[in-house]
Amino acid sequence: MRFDLPIFDVRNLSLNIGNHTILKKITLQIFKGEYVAIIGPNGGGKTTFVRTLLGLQKPTVGEVLIYGKPLEAFKEWEKIGYVPQRATLIDKNFPATAHDIVKMGRLPKKGFFAFYTDEDKRKTEEAMKKMNVWRLKDRLVGELSGGQRQRMMIARALASDPSILILDEPNTGVDVASQKVFYDLLRELHRNDGITVLFITHDIGVIADDITKLITINQSAQVCNDPKEALSCESVSELYGIEAHLLANHKKVKSC
Amino acid sequence: MQRAFIAGILIAVLASISGTFIVLRRYSMIGETLAHASLVGVAVALITGSNPLWVAVVFALLAAWLIELLRDRFELYSDAVLSILLSGSLALAIVIVSAGGAFNTSLFSYLFGSILAVSKEDVITIVVVGGVALAAILANAHKLYYIAFDEEVARVNGIRVQFLNFLLVSVVAVIISLSIRVVGSLLIGALMVIPVTAALQYRRGFLATMSLSLLFSVLSVIGGMSVSYYFSLPSGATIVLFVIALFILSLVITRR
Repeated sequence: MRFDLPIFDVRNLSLNIGNHTILKKITLQIFKGEYVAIIGPNGGGKTTFVRTLLGLQKPTVGEVLIYGKPLEAFKEWEKIGYVPQRATLIDKNFPATAHDIVKMGRLPKKGFFAFYTDEDKRKTEEAMKKMNVWRLKDRLVGELSGGQRQRMMIARALASDPSILILDEPNTGVDVASQKVFYDLLRELHRNDGITVLFITHDIGVIADDITKLITINQSAQVCNDPKEALSCESVSELYGIEAHLLANHKKVKSC
Repeated sequence: MQRAFIAGILIAVLASISGTFIVLRRYSMIGETLAHASLVGVAVALITGSNPLWVAVVFALLAAWLIELLRDRFELYSDAVLSILLSGSLALAIVIVSAGGAFNTSLFSYLFGSILAVSKEDVITIVVVGGVALAAILANAHKLYYIAFDEEVARVNGIRVQFLNFLLVSVVAVIISLSIRVVGSLLIGALMVIPVTAALQYRRGFLATMSLSLLFSVLSVIGGMSVSYYFSLPSGATIVLFVIALFILSLVITRR
């Protein structure tokens, strides 16, 4: 039992679209400093759950509190860094350099007259350097590879100095080598910069050693604070409805 | 003639800058739709003896807000909403002018543009109202650019997407109403879209694309109005033919 204020406090959340139940009675909490993975089958409601956390979809029943406040009353959105699903599959003809895109991350802190200051430029540079995309700052987004775009999008999320980073299947459209680099960077952000990380993934084997909490979503949610135990072949097989062979860091550790 | 040039260049600046956001949001047809809505205002003004410019502004604003309302609240497809409003406005304008017996040269000058129709009051109105509209867009240019690139993440970042969408369509409605005297309601949409599309062919960042679009727009207005003056042709048509020529030239240059 923890007594500190959770970043996200999800209370009895259910969401129906038409006659279909997408999410059912989910209650869970995400605390500062956690490294949380959400797994589950396609169509199980993972993305809908994250979108509901962020206020992009309204729950049918229940509520979400961010830093103790209802979504409608929460104003400090710069604390939330969000990288949506298929973020790398962007419009290649959009007239923007990588620098133009990362700079956007500073806008949550602006009022009606939104102009960039020297501090914005410094923070943008910092975020781009952290994600190793500073050298690409003048390249058009359409000229970047999937991995480079992925890091650019994370840099945009980091530019606002978020306390939590939320990523929805960030490896979509990214090659295997870039995926390894991505998970190393994500781990560094969590360990060295103290950023709470919440991400949806299908790369179960790769994340097994690092995560501190695992959430499985297939309409309802199960939360496990001992991810290695939770990532047993039996539970993964049950969740996905197929026979699973679990690989941790590309080594087969167990067959079911 | 001097008045017409001043008005034309101001309109070129307003149309190209607001047009950049319209095109990037895949909302190009809104120019045509609002121009037709402003035509309803002109028809009403011609029959009632009111100032066509101000009545056109009112009708264009009402149409702009109706479009956003239908899109946002009723979740209708943007292109379908624009198509309905476009044909509906034109039909209404035709019925009004037919019933009022106002099919005359004055109406045609609003349809196709006429440099001789630009009065001193028109220039002052364009400077003052256009200046306010331009200031509203420039103050929020970075946020509008963010919304054009990624509306969902902009929303998560606390950007007031709904308000800014309303602001953008309202400003576009005002700019279009100001422009119909010079360019004509049937052709103003082209001046908002074609210079931006030509600029996009050069594949540059945001500022460079907007600057190129501005250049093409101003060049087209100067060229089109000069031809219109010397050959007694409708200014709207000659301006649009000039900007189409620049678009074709851009296509050829960038594909070499």
